[in-house]
Amino acid sequence: MIRHPIPKWLFYTLAAAGVAAAVAVYAGLSVRQTWINPTQNILPGIKGFVVGWEEITKPRGNERRPKPSWLSTDVRATYWRLLLGLSCGTIASVLIGVAMGAYEAAEAFFSPVINFMAKIPPTAMLAVYMVVFGTKLEMYIALVGFGIFFTMVQSIFQAVKKDVAADHIDKAYTLGASECEVLVEVVWQQILPRVIETVRVHLGPAMVFLIAAEMLFASEGFGYTIRQQSRLINMNVVYIYLAILGLTGLCFDWLLIRLRRWLCPWFGD
Amino acid sequence: MTEEAPALEIRDVSHWFGDFRVLNHIDLRIEAGQIVALVGPSGCGKSTLLKAILGTHPPREGEVLVGGEPVRGPNRNVGIVYQNYSLFDFLTAEKNVAFGLKLDQSSLPFRIFQYPRWRKLRAEQMRMAREYLRRVHLAEACGKYPHELSGGMRQRVAIAQALILKPKIVLLDEPFGALDEATRESLQLMLLHFYQENLQAIQRGEVPEYTILIVTHELNEAIYVANRVVGLSRYHDQAEKGAMIVYDRPCPIFSPDDPRDVAQFIEQREELRRAVFDPNYIKHHQKYVTFWKELADQESSVGNPAIDNAN
Ligand SMILES: Nc1ncnc2c1ncn2[C@@H]1O[C@H](COP(=O)(O)OP(=O)(O)OP(=O)(O)O)[C@@H](O)[C@H]1O
Ligand SMILES: [Mg+2]
Repeated sequence: MIRHPIPKWLFYTLAAAGVAAAVAVYAGLSVRQTWINPTQNILPGIKGFVVGWEEITKPRGNERRPKPSWLSTDVRATYWRLLLGLSCGTIASVLIGVAMGAYEAAEAFFSPVINFMAKIPPTAMLAVYMVVFGTKLEMYIALVGFGIFFTMVQSIFQAVKKDVAADHIDKAYTLGASECEVLVEVVWQQILPRVIETVRVHLGPAMVFLIAAEMLFASEGFGYTIRQQSRLINMNVVYIYLAILGLTGLCFDWLLIRLRRWLCPWFGD
Repeated sequence: MTEEAPALEIRDVSHWFGDFRVLNHIDLRIEAGQIVALVGPSGCGKSTLLKAILGTHPPREGEVLVGGEPVRGPNRNVGIVYQNYSLFDFLTAEKNVAFGLKLDQSSLPFRIFQYPRWRKLRAEQMRMAREYLRRVHLAEACGKYPHELSGGMRQRVAIAQALILKPKIVLLDEPFGALDEATRESLQLMLLHFYQENLQAIQRGEVPEYTILIVTHELNEAIYVANRVVGLSRYHDQAEKGAMIVYDRPCPIFSPDDPRDVAQFIEQREELRRAVFDPNYIKHHQKYVTFWKELADQESSVGNPAIDNAN
């Protein structure tokens, strides 16, 4: 029956069954692979993962120059790059998107370039950022920031145009608003949930660009370690890294949803 | 009170879109305290006239003065209540009502850089907002968001929101159009209450607080809630030039406790229907524009305290 609701307990049981099925499929394949080749590390078992976890969490360096573990180095590097890139991209696209939605002059000025740039794959632009910024932090910020900026600015521009009724703007004026107050108190408030949703949607692409760049140029970070370890067929390490990426992705997603519900309780789900 | 500028004065306003003439030499004066109903056939230009008063779409010709000052774009002297989109979705009912106070009494820098003082002012504003919600019988809905309110409640909040700034005039564009009959009636009673408060203010020698121009397509409603009905229509002797005011007469005043006696205004309703809505009844456009004359006659004979200030 299409769209027929099912009881809560059944829903959660099925959800658990789905996860269990995925784990079972992996376990089955892993056992089979080990049977063929007892020293395989392509589909490692539990023991392999325990070793992998110890490998990535053990402190590096020597007595005189201790270094943090791979995992803590990579988490710090990757998520710092992501955070900076995402923030810069979001702030810039909110400023320009709102300006474009509010003022036709801004729309006329920015839209041709933005519509054009949005069609260039951001990973291809990596060639340019590499030359301009070298392989420093700035390159990753530019890649992530510009990578999401062009499409993000388009959706914020749309939100300002579509979600903010002209009547609401006129009404704000009749309530004594100045132009600046209309932008801050009406337009911004109205589009805020859309902005949060847009950030949420762009988390995925931002991560794609970042990991790709790290695989190519970085000397630390998730992309770097995953590439290095997969060349050595240390798949126990690689899978743990992938799982961490998946889980933090889910986590960010959840946090942004909570943030939206907290800031914009009127928006519903 | 004769030295007070009228709440609204429309002087010789004409408007057209391309070569389609909509409004033709409209003149209209509304004094503080009047509750005026504007009726007319669909598409005759009522909303266009309201937009001219609001200042979002200035007329091609003529002048609109609010409180004696020419209108140059929407501002806090003219309040508006739309049929839809009447509230800000992202504010609760009380914050919607307080929104005007916030925008009118404080500036963005003040709210940021003098935060403690702003908090104090804000508490005062929220109290006033709740007081206005009480006036429209919605004290219990303070903390609710618009999507949690019924259509009628939303319109009440919107009316409180427009009234709280005490604008010179409040425009209502078919505010009850989407509501069911019972809700409509209770909102009509609310308008009658406002009119009674106006009368009391006048008796105390104060400027009445509520000046309202309400567009409606319900003739009974027009005659019931208003003390003056204005008809806008292109069915007159200069039809090709656009719509003019073809009807402007006082109408019976009901107090909220009176029975809603439809028989009382049946005669005026038929007159109105013929003068404004009948395309075949062509007459000189000023035949029924007699409000100020009738008022003067009335005053010289009995002296009606109700509309005494309006000369
Ligand atoms: N932007 C516009 N461009 C062209 N014509 C317009 C525009 N706005 C309104 N009109 C025309 O002007 C006339 C008056 O429109 P208006 O909305 O003022 O009518 P109305 O009296 O409010 O009608 P209703 O009772 O249906 O709300 C209509 O014939 C309409 O087609
Ligand atoms: Mg209209």
